[in-house]
Amino acid sequence: MKLYRRTFTKLSILSGTGALVLPACQGEPPAMGEAAKLTPDERVLIERFAEVYIPTAGTNLKPLAEVPYLDNIDRILERLDGATLDEVHTGLKLFDYGSIVLGFHLTRFGNLSPEDRLEYIIDWTHGGETQRAIAGVLKSFVAFGYWQDVGAAQRVGYQGPVSDEAKIVSLGNAPMPVDQAQPETPT
Amino acid sequence: MTDVPQIEEPAQPVLRVQTPDEVPAAGLKLDADVVIIGSGASGAVTAYELSQRGAKVVVLEAGPYVPSSRFTERLAGAFDQLYEDGGKQTNKSGDMVVLQGSCLGGSTVINAAVCFRAPDAVLESWGQNFGLDNLSPTAMAPYFDKVEKNLHIHPNGPHELNLNGRLISDGAKRLDIPTAPASRNIKHCALTGHCLSGCKTERKQSMLVTYLPWASELGATILSGTRAESFEVNNGRITEVHAVATDAEGVQKAVDVKAGLVVVAAGAIQTPLLFQKAGLGNSSGLVGSNFACHPSTAMLGEHPDDVYCWLGATISTYAGNIEDPKEGSYLLEAGFMGPLSMSTASDGGVGKEYVEFVEKSKKYLGAVTLIHDHNVGRVYWDNGRKRIDYNLDDRDFPSLQAAFRAAAKIYFAAGAKRVYLPTTRRTVIERADEVDSVINSLENGKHLYKLTSYHPQGTMRMGKNPKASVVGPDGKVHGLDNVYVVDASVFPTTLLVNPQETVYAMATYLSEGIGARG
Repeated sequence: MKLYRRTFTKLSILSGTGALVLPACQGEPPAMGEAAKLTPDERVLIERFAEVYIPTAGTNLKPLAEVPYLDNIDRILERLDGATLDEVHTGLKLFDYGSIVLGFHLTRFGNLSPEDRLEYIIDWTHGGETQRAIAGVLKSFVAFGYWQDVGAAQRVGYQGPVSDEAKIVSLGNAPMPVDQAQPETPT
Repeated sequence: MTDVPQIEEPAQPVLRVQTPDEVPAAGLKLDADVVIIGSGASGAVTAYELSQRGAKVVVLEAGPYVPSSRFTERLAGAFDQLYEDGGKQTNKSGDMVVLQGSCLGGSTVINAAVCFRAPDAVLESWGQNFGLDNLSPTAMAPYFDKVEKNLHIHPNGPHELNLNGRLISDGAKRLDIPTAPASRNIKHCALTGHCLSGCKTERKQSMLVTYLPWASELGATILSGTRAESFEVNNGRITEVHAVATDAEGVQKAVDVKAGLVVVAAGAIQTPLLFQKAGLGNSSGLVGSNFACHPSTAMLGEHPDDVYCWLGATISTYAGNIEDPKEGSYLLEAGFMGPLSMSTASDGGVGKEYVEFVEKSKKYLGAVTLIHDHNVGRVYWDNGRKRIDYNLDDRDFPSLQAAFRAAAKIYFAAGAKRVYLPTTRRTVIERADEVDSVINSLENGKHLYKLTSYHPQGTMRMGKNPKASVVGPDGKVHGLDNVYVVDASVFPTTLLVNPQETVYAMATYLSEGIGARG
């Protein structure tokens, strides 16, 4: 384990590990017109990530399988500009394939045991700037995709939308300021 | 049976908006006295004030017109519907989200309605350091008075203070930290806690339900979904603004507005980008420089009781010394959103640890931290890509630590069992006597803190010296005869406090000068 942690702290993802890992990446690039969605590989990666990040089994939380968090993440990607989207795809690939080298797992993130996946996420959270950034993006994506589901949020006491259900009336536009109303047009 | 007395309601002005679908395919050519780019806090106020003075006004808003009835009270949906870049606008490093409204009414539609006057010490420093004696506290007071009256700005009443706000204020009092109910521009608040998703029942007095309908009632033409792209310039004057309206089918239609005066009110990010794109107004070389943003975090403290910090007024109380912002100044605002925000604002760990963290959501005290940061950032184009180059400066890091320290101590004083710091690596303080040592050990760096900015400012600095500023004391862009900037980009320094009221007051003041040009 010491070697594993030391490897993490000493490698710079972009200048070192990235150069080692990227040539080994076998995943297909996103097809034209589909770049604003998760690729099939990325969907698997995020599923494996979410399973250990939010282990809902045996808890009061809404089961992950009942929340369309992957589709919700797709909607995040749809709003990113092309350059940022490219960075996201690259970051996810680095995370996915990084486990081949980092920790000497010799396999992709999705193939790791749940315990190793958890350890891997923690190590990236405590890693260099780029590792922290990528781990942060993944956590944010999953949290954002999961918690925007009203049913999931209600399980922890959040009420969700209320105005329609409670039939709270709208006040409408504010009246013109009384002492500044438009002078009446002379007739 | 006696007759029930009828209360005569004042007539409600109607907001008339021309959406891109209503722009003819052949485009639109308009003539106006004044064209205003942007419909947020400053654009809307300017539109009304100049319309009130008889000017023929056209307002161009790049974002869509979303009537309040379509607000969803779901934050994620609101990001898509109402926020710049779907709520995904970040700094260049990607470690700070910069939230801005991108809709008719701008950020006033999606803010927490918190209002403060600019601290006197800040306005006085602008006079001393930037020659802006015209903005002294005494000079600005009537404008603050006016917008406070128009927008129903008032301190939260006792019924608007939720348990979260009361506990945080109680904790602050025990530590002799100044605290008070926050003031908000709201009328008969329904206490739904959904301010950041837009006020569905039109109680928040945003520009969407106040100054824009008022301007519309006075004859202003308001176009939504219409982005100003370029200018026609002759002899130091912008004579025509070229904009593009994009309809629901994605068809782009030209909207050209000829006007005697141009007022830019697109906010501290879009305003400098527009000037940079046009290559205008940059004789000082400072367009886009001096960006600052009150980098904010959200702190959680686990309380033994059910607090439900998201219920009630989105921000109910505040704590901190805001009278005289200086190095190390901070402001804490009691309030929080639901579990989505909690998970993105704090690192609750992973696996079982994370599940335990979120299952306690209703137990958390929550407050937003703001600091009085230095103007160290820059907004610019990078091969067609918008860039906000801003990182927390080492000089500002002690302020962030001071905010963490104050919030943590307040939470413990209010009875919290533990405190979660807004770090990207899970950091939990278990006891009050650990607060100083844990927070003193923190270091500044990228991707170490969960930062959000709600208050971009400073990229079109106002000042008397044309070599050290972009606009003059009257808001006129140096070197251009008929072009004004009236939004928060003109602030020479940050305020520490939420800027919206100062933007309203400043736009009211600047409109007087603009209107006087006839």
